[in-house]
Amino acid sequence: MDYTQSFAISSIGMTVERTRVDVAALNLANANSVAGPDGSLYKPLRVVAHATFASSVEQGLNAPLVQIEPTQQPPRSVYEPGHPLADARGFVTYAGVDAATEMVTMMGAMRSYEANVAAMNTARNMALKALDIGGNT
Amino acid sequence: MSTEAIQAVAPVAAQILEPSLQPMAQGQAFSTGAAAGVQGGFGNLVSQGVEHVNQQLLANQVDLQQLAVGNVENLHQVMIRLEESRMQFQLMMQVRSRLLEGYQDIMKMQV
Repeated sequence: MDYTQSFAISSIGMTVERTRVDVAALNLANANSVAGPDGSLYKPLRVVAHATFASSVEQGLNAPLVQIEPTQQPPRSVYEPGHPLADARGFVTYAGVDAATEMVTMMGAMRSYEANVAAMNTARNMALKALDIGGNT
Repeated sequence: MSTEAIQAVAPVAAQILEPSLQPMAQGQAFSTGAAAGVQGGFGNLVSQGVEHVNQQLLANQVDLQQLAVGNVENLHQVMIRLEESRMQFQLMMQVRSRLLEGYQDIMKMQV
């Protein structure tokens, strides 16, 4: 296998993990958004990665293979009678974002990203070591 | 003697070399091959490789300019492309040092 293909594999992995972190950040940013008067409410998103790595390696570095799907998390209802958007019973509907889940997602994504970087560095070091073959240093 | 030396220096290139190179002296391949464009010569091969490395370095420069002005979509792809071009450059340097070693060996040869 060419070393550029190893790089492409790691790059795809890094892209997926970065998307995961971006989506987690988006969820956290919308954690305290309330439902509007028309009932529109932010739904937490999840990154769903499909295992099309083997076929997308040949396509180079830009292979879209992730889907961002809304979750079916129920919204949070918080009793805040003074809130301008409170309903008749005094409850305000917040987006059902679980901060702990998002933090864990971000931690896992960061570790996976590091693993991808480590894999890429290993491939790079192997290629650079191969250049030392026959060298007199 | 000279063809054996060339093949010893560049065993990879020896498979692609055309028979037209065989009577060519090594100094000729370096001095006129790249400049005058001797068809299919080893000098052509070298200049093609150098050109490829140069193209990649120029592409990296564009990437870095994009990074500097702030519209970068993927930091790791820029880094990976930088690493790729660095490895290409290292490979070119290794080939160059092998060639120079062989050339100097021949120049020091007692006739």
